[in-house]
Amino acid sequence: MTLLLAIVIGALYAGGVYMMLRKTVVKLLIGLAMIGNAANLLIFVSSSVVRSHPPIVPKGSSAVPAPYADPLTQALILTAIVIGFAVLAFALALVKRVYGEVGSLALEEMTVSDE
Amino acid sequence: MYNLLAQTDGNGLAKRLAEAFPPPTIDWPSILPIALVVCTGIVALIVEMLRPRQNNNAIIGFSLVGLFFAGLSLTSQFASPDLESFGGMVLRDRFSLTIQLLVVMVTGLTILFSDGYLRAKRIPFGEFYPLVLWSASGAMMMASSKNLLMIFLGIEVLSISLYVLAGMSKTETKSEESALKYFLLGAFASAFLLYGIAFMYGATGSLHLDAIRSAWNPNDEAFRNMMLFGMGLMLFGLAFKAAFVPFHQWTPDVYQGAPTNVTAFMAAGSKIGAMAALWRLLSASTTNVDLGATFQSYWMPALFWIAILTMTVGNLVALVQKDVKRTLGYSSIAHAGYILVGILAHVNNPEKVGIGTTVFYLLSYSLMTIGAFAVVSLTAKNGKEGTRFEDLHGLWKRSPFAVGCLIVFVASLIGIPPTSGFFGKLMIFNDALASDLMPLAIVLAVNSVLSVYYYVGIAKAAFVDAEGARTPESAPMNLGLAATCLLCAGGIFAVVILFNPLMNWLVGAP
Amino acid sequence: MVTPALAILSLFTLGLLAPFLFALLPRHAGKLLCLPPAFWCGWFWSKTPASGQTWTSPWIPELGITFSFRLDGLASLFAILITGIGAMVLLYTEGYCGAKPGSGRLYGLLLLFLASMLGVVLADDAILLFLFWEATSVTSFLLIGFEHERANARRGAVQALMVTGGGGLALLAGLLVIVQQTGQGRISAWGPLAGDPLYLAMFALVAIGCFTKSAQFPFHFWLPNAMTAPTPVSAYLHSATMVKAGVYLLARLSGSLGGTEVWTWTLTLVGGATMLTGTLLALRQTDLKRLLAYSTVAALGTMVFVLARGGAEAASAFAAFVLAHALYKGALFLVAGAIDHTADSRDAFRLGGLWQRAPVLATASTLAGLGMMGVAPLAFLAKETLVDGLLSPPDVPSLIVFGVMAAGAVAIAGIVAFRPFFGKADPAIADGHKPDAPLLTGPAVLAVLGIVGGLTPTFVFERIGGPVAAAIGGGTDPHPWALWHGFGAPLAFSVGTLALGLAVYRAWPAWIARAAPWPSFGFDRAYDAGLRGTVSVARAFTRTIQNGRLRAYLQTTIATFLVLVTLAAVRWNPSPQIRLDTALPHEALLALAMLLAVLAAVRSVSRLAAVVTLGVVGFGVALTYALFGAPDLAMTQIAVETLTVILFVLTFYHLPRFARGSGTRTRAVDALLATGVGATMAAITLVASQRLLGTPISAHFAENSLAEAHGRNVVNVILVDYRGLDTLGEITVLSIAGLGVVALWTFGRRAAKGGSA
Repeated sequence: MTLLLAIVIGALYAGGVYMMLRKTVVKLLIGLAMIGNAANLLIFVSSSVVRSHPPIVPKGSSAVPAPYADPLTQALILTAIVIGFAVLAFALALVKRVYGEVGSLALEEMTVSDE
Repeated sequence: MYNLLAQTDGNGLAKRLAEAFPPPTIDWPSILPIALVVCTGIVALIVEMLRPRQNNNAIIGFSLVGLFFAGLSLTSQFASPDLESFGGMVLRDRFSLTIQLLVVMVTGLTILFSDGYLRAKRIPFGEFYPLVLWSASGAMMMASSKNLLMIFLGIEVLSISLYVLAGMSKTETKSEESALKYFLLGAFASAFLLYGIAFMYGATGSLHLDAIRSAWNPNDEAFRNMMLFGMGLMLFGLAFKAAFVPFHQWTPDVYQGAPTNVTAFMAAGSKIGAMAALWRLLSASTTNVDLGATFQSYWMPALFWIAILTMTVGNLVALVQKDVKRTLGYSSIAHAGYILVGILAHVNNPEKVGIGTTVFYLLSYSLMTIGAFAVVSLTAKNGKEGTRFEDLHGLWKRSPFAVGCLIVFVASLIGIPPTSGFFGKLMIFNDALASDLMPLAIVLAVNSVLSVYYYVGIAKAAFVDAEGARTPESAPMNLGLAATCLLCAGGIFAVVILFNPLMNWLVGAP
Repeated sequence: MVTPALAILSLFTLGLLAPFLFALLPRHAGKLLCLPPAFWCGWFWSKTPASGQTWTSPWIPELGITFSFRLDGLASLFAILITGIGAMVLLYTEGYCGAKPGSGRLYGLLLLFLASMLGVVLADDAILLFLFWEATSVTSFLLIGFEHERANARRGAVQALMVTGGGGLALLAGLLVIVQQTGQGRISAWGPLAGDPLYLAMFALVAIGCFTKSAQFPFHFWLPNAMTAPTPVSAYLHSATMVKAGVYLLARLSGSLGGTEVWTWTLTLVGGATMLTGTLLALRQTDLKRLLAYSTVAALGTMVFVLARGGAEAASAFAAFVLAHALYKGALFLVAGAIDHTADSRDAFRLGGLWQRAPVLATASTLAGLGMMGVAPLAFLAKETLVDGLLSPPDVPSLIVFGVMAAGAVAIAGIVAFRPFFGKADPAIADGHKPDAPLLTGPAVLAVLGIVGGLTPTFVFERIGGPVAAAIGGGTDPHPWALWHGFGAPLAFSVGTLALGLAVYRAWPAWIARAAPWPSFGFDRAYDAGLRGTVSVARAFTRTIQNGRLRAYLQTTIATFLVLVTLAAVRWNPSPQIRLDTALPHEALLALAMLLAVLAAVRSVSRLAAVVTLGVVGFGVALTYALFGAPDLAMTQIAVETLTVILFVLTFYHLPRFARGSGTRTRAVDALLATGVGATMAAITLVASQRLLGTPISAHFAENSLAEAHGRNVVNVILVDYRGLDTLGEITVLSIAGLGVVALWTFGRRAAKGGSA
């Protein structure tokens, strides 16, 4: 399964990067979101992949029975998901605003500042 | 609880735990400065919401007072012992206090000249003040923790505020454009940083830099590979924030497009934060344990070349620019390269070369950069702003004081004695020699020559008469701007005259 | 201790005050301002110590920088020249500029330069010396560009700054290397350094600094271009003093760096090349000032040439030549300025017959010209001393080079000093006005001193030659200066060069008239070409890399990433071990679904389809979390993913359809980059997952979660209890982003209102 997940992660990255290199900002954002997912998955896989053992202390026990998924990585990913969402929301607002001002979503046309 | 563990557990786990997670002491003063800055921002926002579109004097006054108290609180802690509190999340040492003080200073100077500029440019954006304060708190966080997650959060707080600030000019398309570019590349960079942190954690099982440092073991191949990937990705992310070549490309566009006061803050505050984090990361990534290979032997060559590229490309491309803000953007890239040389010299030989050089250079660089941008902000008038070289023409006649200050800033940016810029470069040069980084010293010297050409161009433009200039008038000098110029220009000389006591205070006696 | 510092400080202050004085008394500013330098000149003359005297006080101990000054024979010679000629030049400026507005700035800059130059020769601390050295470069820059409305003045100024400033940094590097190696910042404390492992670097860096400053071949080109400065400046900075700073420093360091083969050969060759270049290039000029500039280059070459030899005799000859040259060349420059003033022309070819109009000037010019020819007493003495040295034992190549230079000097002196006064005038030259007293005093005094100094050789030797020999020659010169060396080889040499020079002088007008204008010489062009080349590289760079396109930026970044990863992989050769552990059917299905979604996203042409594929990917990731022991993540992911999709759809509702697609080639490049990243990341995943960590710290949380924090869900416990602070930070990020979103959505309306209000 690790191999399979590695391939999925690779594909997500490849797809994300390809989308980011498109001309329109909208695809770029989709690419960004995709890469965000891939990154979280990557972090997840890099700690441990264990089937069906959430790090929850069962009733009547005082510790989590092994093997369990690494809880600290999960905390990290949780933070990443939330921040990723905040960033994405902001991005969408920004894109809408830029569209209102520039009147285009084509990145190629956004070179006013270039001399 | 921890003591108990240490007594009962003999296998070293407890020791490692105690190291990675020291007893969660809570030391409120250590986060007081950051809290003060954040709260000032909140109050400023509330004030703005209560009285929208009125004059901002109250907010400015309040912000400055808040910053003053934050500075006071920092100053009062200089004598206190180093300490980590909140479970290793917050660190107070000389370096963190100094860097935070620099950030507070930079923020204050920016706020001081912003009102006149925002008015001249007709940007009715009261959120500027809270956002710039929060952004500053992010930079402060970056400096005051050895926990990678806190550093990451600091970067995000700093950056997201700046994304918003960069796009706040309504009248110009390039402002929004620059915000979008900055944001997209910044988000990309943050992602790199986060993966890097994850890898470091994956390899060592800790997010604390001290624990990461002590875990280094090159003989475990899988471990080494993960550490290297982690380090590489983190450097990638930080290189974006610090604008090292080849991750610098956003800088000129964003510096040019963003409102000038935001650019000033970005050039100084953001860079201070990034450099502080970089320093923390790099000094945690050096090991004396030479188990076949030290950690630094892997990343040092890469940073060595990045430093050379950064200095050279920054100065080279600056030569052909036609826009002052853009030129200063490239110049800030070049200066990032100089600072990197200082940091590398330190981490390459920490016994012989201290961190004082970097601190001094950051201080001096902040003064001259903010000063230069403050003078450039004078070209804004009636909601428009022309920042091409010819827009500076005739400034000499309209505002001799500003031009006088500009000459000081330019001289310092070039590194002409007796300005602080000269002494900063001298110290970096000296450090590079002392730390066996002769090639970097030579590249630095060559680049300083190259930079003379375009810096002189900036000063020269202000002296040319104003015939046919595109904006015949410029904003009148206002009190805040004059104060910023005066403080920056005075500071450039003061830090040289007071070199000894200042450095003793900031980085401790040698 | 205070005296040298006081001299510098007082003159520096005077420089700052000069513009105000000029505003008050524009007609007498020069007369008043020349007094303090004249006073200090007298002081230095009277105080020349037999051995060096040093004063020190600490400044920046961390960097080992001290305020140290040292007065010895060498410093004294230069201090006397700087203050004395400075006084004359200030006086002359009054006649040259009159009460022209802006002249206050000229006086001020001249005095600032004077103070800095005095600092260079008096400083004993290496860094302090460099500070003053740079100050002279900067004041020189400002003075050359004084008439900044003229384009060639600006070009000359920037060129001089680039060359001397660049050399200055090399010098700084060299000095710092010496300081690091010796652990000693005081120049007088440096012993011989020839044995140091870094000797070559030290010598090369210091030499570059000195050669650029003193306009040595191949850096000589900036000096003639600096002639756009007002004439007092040319006379003072670019002939008498500043250009001698490099020579001074070489002399100063000859004790530490000298005496080696490298030193002797480098200085001899560079000095010799400079002498020949300067002389030959001078003879094809017709502008008085450019003629003098090139002959100055030749003279500076001579000084370097002499320093190559080392020893007390050479030191004493060096002193004599420096003194004589400063007097006659300063005088001639001032005369040239006065001619320009009188006849409104500096064309040596066309000027003539001015002696009737300006008899005093003609006399001064003649005296100075005789000096340059090596006939007037002091110059004669200097020349004889030099030749004496070259003859024992005879050094034929050096004698030939020196002979060419001396003969050239004779010819140039004829062209510059005699021809404008006694030659035939071109009728086209306008009638000018007569020079007044301040304009005449300077050249006259300097020219007369050149005669008088030579008539009292013993007295001057005691004050100048002897102390200099003691300071840098390492002993006393066994042959004190004397005017008459008797009939012999030196005299024959002098007569020979004089005859040759006069022949060249006679041939010169015909030659200039006939000669097609030579192609302008190489190094000035090389400088331009270098500058142009740099600029075009920068342009090309801007066009390709810095083109303002986000896509290009992303491509660069990704390409860099791939290159770095590849390099690292080649060097460290990590081996991803593929662990073929089993995949259950539903897991494989999930993976397949995600892969298909990615493919669909890439190929999508409609916005909605793209968003849907994103949703599929997101939910797939959530399912993965759920399957592998992370239900919290799965729940959060589902919530966030749902919101994301809604946000996307809401936003896209207002946005236009996808723009046209890219070309095939672009897509191919992008696909290549994307595949590279994907493959790398997949590999990294495999490498990373080799190290399955049951990390002790996580274990700690797992074990103590219930006991310490009374929570069963370890992830929650970590977030809320153990890592509360970063959760707080996370909330901060979220709220700032929220504020940003609100600001962006509402700001447009507000700005419209605010802008019109």
